[in-house]
Amino acid sequence: MLRRVVLQTFRQGLAQSFFKRNAASLSESAVTQHPIETSEEAGAKSGSKQKNGDESGNTVVVAPPEFRFMYPEFLPDPTMERRNKLKEKLERMDMLQRRSIIEIPEFYTGSIMAVTVADSNSPNKFACFVGICIQRGGSGLQAWFILRNVVDRQGVEILYEMYCPLIQKIEVLRLERRLDESLLYLRDALPEYSTFPFEMEAERRLNNSVVPINPIKVKLRPRPWLERWERQNLQGVEDLNLPQRYYDRAKEVAKPWEKYDLMLQYRKTIPAEEQEKIYAEVHSQLQQQDLKRKIKRRRGPSSEQ
Amino acid sequence: MSTLQSLNGSPFLLGFLFNHEQVRNMSRVKRRNTHPGYWLPLKNVQKKDDKISADNLRFVREVIQDKYKNKSPLKGSELQIEKTEWDPKTKRSGVIARNIGRQQMWDKAGNKIVCTVLHVLDNHVIRYIPPEEYVKTSRGAIHFKNKTPLGCLVVGAEATNPEKFTRQYCNLFSEVGLLPKKTLSRFIITPNAALPPCTPITAGHFLVGQAVDVYGKTIDHGFQGVVKRWGFKGGPASHGATKFHRRGGTIGTGRDKARVWPGTKMPGHMGSERRYNRGLMIMRINMKYNVIYVKGTVPGATNSMVRIFDTLLPLRKLKEAPPHPTYFPPEEGTQKEEDIWDSSLHVYGSPSISV
Repeated sequence: MLRRVVLQTFRQGLAQSFFKRNAASLSESAVTQHPIETSEEAGAKSGSKQKNGDESGNTVVVAPPEFRFMYPEFLPDPTMERRNKLKEKLERMDMLQRRSIIEIPEFYTGSIMAVTVADSNSPNKFACFVGICIQRGGSGLQAWFILRNVVDRQGVEILYEMYCPLIQKIEVLRLERRLDESLLYLRDALPEYSTFPFEMEAERRLNNSVVPINPIKVKLRPRPWLERWERQNLQGVEDLNLPQRYYDRAKEVAKPWEKYDLMLQYRKTIPAEEQEKIYAEVHSQLQQQDLKRKIKRRRGPSSEQ
Repeated sequence: MSTLQSLNGSPFLLGFLFNHEQVRNMSRVKRRNTHPGYWLPLKNVQKKDDKISADNLRFVREVIQDKYKNKSPLKGSELQIEKTEWDPKTKRSGVIARNIGRQQMWDKAGNKIVCTVLHVLDNHVIRYIPPEEYVKTSRGAIHFKNKTPLGCLVVGAEATNPEKFTRQYCNLFSEVGLLPKKTLSRFIITPNAALPPCTPITAGHFLVGQAVDVYGKTIDHGFQGVVKRWGFKGGPASHGATKFHRRGGTIGTGRDKARVWPGTKMPGHMGSERRYNRGLMIMRINMKYNVIYVKGTVPGATNSMVRIFDTLLPLRKLKEAPPHPTYFPPEEGTQKEEDIWDSSLHVYGSPSISV
């Protein structure tokens, strides 16, 4: 019962955050397709191509809004001085070319992944690393993510560039989200929260449409810490048990007005209309690639026989 | 200080001075002038509030369309170009491009290569000035004092609506029958590389693997202090330093000369200076979108204009003939490759590298 509630709130959160950004520009049909729905209904709709009616009556193909979360690196860096539409278009074409060779799956901060990289120093020329994704960033071909694991009681983090041709395979062993966008606090947490066995196998998702949120609250080691976690409003961390003066100082230093700063948000994000255009441009190719892989997977075991 | 003046232009000495450390030299050299040349016509329309009725405005636009409607980029076969041979001493035309950003690529060993993406805009030759005529101009006389004169090719890029420019500026192009261009540039060329007016110059003008020099105006940092502008170390951040963290310190000895030397490094305007980044290798050319990927960085901010020429550096100069005098796409039949990559690069559509 509790888990079902958690799943629903994620879906609601998705819809709400989508509404906040798209309030003015969304057309009627897109809004009605994402009410607060149960996971079963979501399963039927999630992969579908939506067709919004244009003013002139022509159907305009629009990618599903989940694409913004599944492929965030297709959105360019929002800094206005550095933006150029032609360059972004060319970069997207290169990204799709690379994605046609290797499957770069949907993953989030908090997912456990296994990456195989070509390594000349390794005995069998390939190095495999399993870890939890603690942060992801970059846009375009510079997109990266950091995997963390604890190996022989030593914390290890590796930054992988998603489009590097040395990467042979990226596999998501457990697809889930956490309560925070960045899990850098795992560096100051007890090692059991960052330890994952290298022999871990891919877990089958119970529900393909909704990505579960792991509501785990991590226990931190005693201070000193690498960062002032009490100032960062972390959801996924247990009560820090600090003296009151830390929280008082955090309140003095806090910037509570930032959540009302519309221009700050605007400068950090790509406008909704542009996002729609970008994903509309790439989604047909991404879907085709996805389809080809699914067919190959189904045929795979039979062709090996 | 004539030796310093000669240092200003010399690419080789600059290459020697600017090694792995960022050295901000040349404090005694006049760095920039911001006024346009007196010989240039007034470019932009000054008064924009012409009280013109909607009908008349429509008529003006029709006239403009009629005037320019027959002008389309000419093909190689339509131009009368003399067949000239390329030799290592030939100086070809350059190209005006826009720096549209940086993109990273990987080579076949898996090393990352950061390339600057240069978009070759719609370059057209406006006119060719033969050497005898060019030497008589004020600019040409300075350039070719005590040297054999060379010709000058005037190239324009980025065609724009004539309504934005003055009549004098539009007349520069109307003789040739082209829409007025936003940017103009001169390229010094040998007479055998001359091109007739209205010739389009595209990204195919260069070869993949060739080295180029890119000229641009550096990023304008505005008024900057001595630490950023000249690389001074400033003072200690703590340990009781009173108001001395990013200052210059002493500006003279006090003894001999008893004054501040001209050219003493001090805060001032930084950036917006003409610079050449020499010897950059072309890694990839996209013929369809007219885009060149050049290894390294070029002077200037993103979306600023640069000029690209064949390199002057003696060890990286062209040894084989490039498209001379320029590249003309084949008429039909032989479809050349749209996207040409350097042989050392890992093409994105090819399988992952296994070491």
